[in-house]
Amino acid sequence: MPEILKVNNLSKSFGKVRAVHDLSFKVDQGEILGIIGPNGAGKTTLFNLISGEIKPDAGEVIFNGKDVAITQTFKKCRMGIARTYQIPRPFLNMTILENLLVGSIYGAGKSYKESKKQCVRILEKTGLSAKSGALVGTLPLLDRKRLELAKALATNPVLLLVDEVAGGLTEGEVEEFLRIIHGVRKEGVTVLWVEHIVMAMTKGPDRLLVMNFGRRLFVGRPDEAFNSPDVQKIYLGDED
Amino acid sequence: MTAKPIRLTFIVILLAFLVTMPLWASRYAVNVGLLVCLYVTLASMWNLLAGYSGMVSLGQQMFIGLGGYTLAVSSMYFGVPVYLSVLFGGFISVFLAVLISVSVFRMKGVYFAIGTWVIAEALGICFSNWGYVKYGMGMFIQPAYKLSMSGVYYAGLILCVSSVALVFLLLRSNLGLALMAIRDDDQASETLGVNIFRCKFICFLLSAFITGLAAGVLYLNAIFIQPFEAFGISWTVNLLFIVIIGGIGTVEGPILGAIIFVLLQQFLSEYVGYNLIIFGGITIGVIFFAPRGLVGTLQMKTGWELFPVRRQ
Repeated sequence: MPEILKVNNLSKSFGKVRAVHDLSFKVDQGEILGIIGPNGAGKTTLFNLISGEIKPDAGEVIFNGKDVAITQTFKKCRMGIARTYQIPRPFLNMTILENLLVGSIYGAGKSYKESKKQCVRILEKTGLSAKSGALVGTLPLLDRKRLELAKALATNPVLLLVDEVAGGLTEGEVEEFLRIIHGVRKEGVTVLWVEHIVMAMTKGPDRLLVMNFGRRLFVGRPDEAFNSPDVQKIYLGDED
Repeated sequence: MTAKPIRLTFIVILLAFLVTMPLWASRYAVNVGLLVCLYVTLASMWNLLAGYSGMVSLGQQMFIGLGGYTLAVSSMYFGVPVYLSVLFGGFISVFLAVLISVSVFRMKGVYFAIGTWVIAEALGICFSNWGYVKYGMGMFIQPAYKLSMSGVYYAGLILCVSSVALVFLLLRSNLGLALMAIRDDDQASETLGVNIFRCKFICFLLSAFITGLAAGVLYLNAIFIQPFEAFGISWTVNLLFIVIIGGIGTVEGPILGAIIFVLLQQFLSEYVGYNLIIFGGITIGVIFFAPRGLVGTLQMKTGWELFPVRRQ
C-alpha cells in the first residue's frame, strides 16, 4: 500500500511548552492508525497541525507526496483532509442536512443536487436520517458526535482525522462508531484516530502511535503497544 | 402546504400597496414611504454583514457619505445626470471597500467594528477640510431640486425591493449556506472547505455597493450634504436599532425594524432630546423580552417565515 501521509520531524511549541516535538511517522493508504497518550501529549495539536489550523514551527507534513505543512485549512480540506473535533462543533442554527451540505458543497466541490444525494447516504450510514431536518441545537450528545463524523465524511475525505469521537459514550455506542469507521476504511479512506477508550483502541486501529510529551514513544500493533513496558509506565507509573 | 400561497399573496399585496402609493397618498406619506424604503435597504445591508457574515461594522456611514458626495460632485461639477451619479456613488463605494478590505479584514469582532468606524471618522475629517467640496459648510445638490417626489420614491422602492430580494436569494444560494456556517462557527466551516475570506469579501463589496446607491437616493431627497452629518456614526446607530429590534440574522427583521424606526422618528421629531431616550429604552426592552428581535422571536415561537431560507 502506498503512503498517504508522512510526518517528518514536526515541531510546535506554545511558549515554553513543546506540544509536538520532533515527531515523525507514516501512514499507509487505507490504514487506521490509532493515536494514544496521556493528556497533554500533543495529540490534538498534531491534528491541528495536519488539518492546518495551526502552522508548525518546523518539519513537514507530506500528504499524497506534497508538503502541505503551511497550506491553508480550507485548501487542505478540498485536497481531502477532513477532521472531527473532540467537543463537537456543529453549526447550531442550521439543520443536520445543512450542516452536511457545507462540507459536501465546499469541501467535496459537488453541485447542490449531487451534494444532497451524497448527504442523504451519509445520514443513513451514521444513523441520522430520521432527524435530517432538525436544528442541531436540539440534539443530544450522541447525535452531535454522529453529526461530527458525518460532516467530515461529507467532504469526501482521503484522510480522516477523528478526535475522541467515542469519549463519554456507552460500550454499545462505541461499537457503533467502530462499525462506521471500519465501513469508511473499506471505501479506501485512511483514518487517524485519537481516543482514550482502550476497548476502541484495541479493536479499531491496525497500528497504534503512542505519544508522550509531544514525542513518539511507540509505534506498532495495538496488542504490542499495550504490552510494551514503556507504554505501561506512562499510563500506570513507574514501580520504583 | 398552504403556507406558500399565503406568503405570495402577502408579498403581492404589500408590493401593490407600495407601488401605487404615489397615486393616492399625500406628499408627506410618500416621503415617509421613501424613508422606510431607504432604511430597509441600508439595514438589510448592515444585517448582511453583522447578522450573516459575522462582520459587525460601525462604519457603514463611510459609504453613505461617499455615495452622497459622489452624487453632489458629479452632478454639480460635471453635469452628470443625477441617477447616473447615484450609480457612480455605488461604484466609488465598492472601490473604497476594496481598498480598505486589505486592512479591515485582518481584524475580527470588536476590532473590525472599531476599524471601520475609525475609517469613516477619518473620511469625515478629510471632507470637512477639503475645499473642493466646500469644507464643513456642505453642498446643496441643485440638480436634485427639480426632481419629482414620485421619481425619487420609485428609485428608493426599487432599491428596497432589490436589496431584500438579493439578501433572500443570496441566503438560498450556496454562498448563503457558507455564510450561515461561518456565522455559527468560522473555524469549523474552514475545516469543511469554506474559503472564509472570499465569502466575507463578496458580502462586504455587495453591502458597500448598495449602501452607496441608497445614500445617493437619500441625498436626492435631502438635497443638502455636510461632512459630519454624512459621515456620522448616527447612521449606523440607527441601522443597529432597526436590525436589533426587528431581528438580527432574519430577512424580515430589517423591514419591520425600519417601519417602526421611521414612524417613531416622525412622531418623536417634536420632542428633540427625548427621542434618543425613547429609542434606547425600546432597544433595551426588546433585548430583555425578545432577544432575537421582534421577527426573530416571533419566528421562534410560530415557525412562520415570510422569506424562508432553509433547505429541505
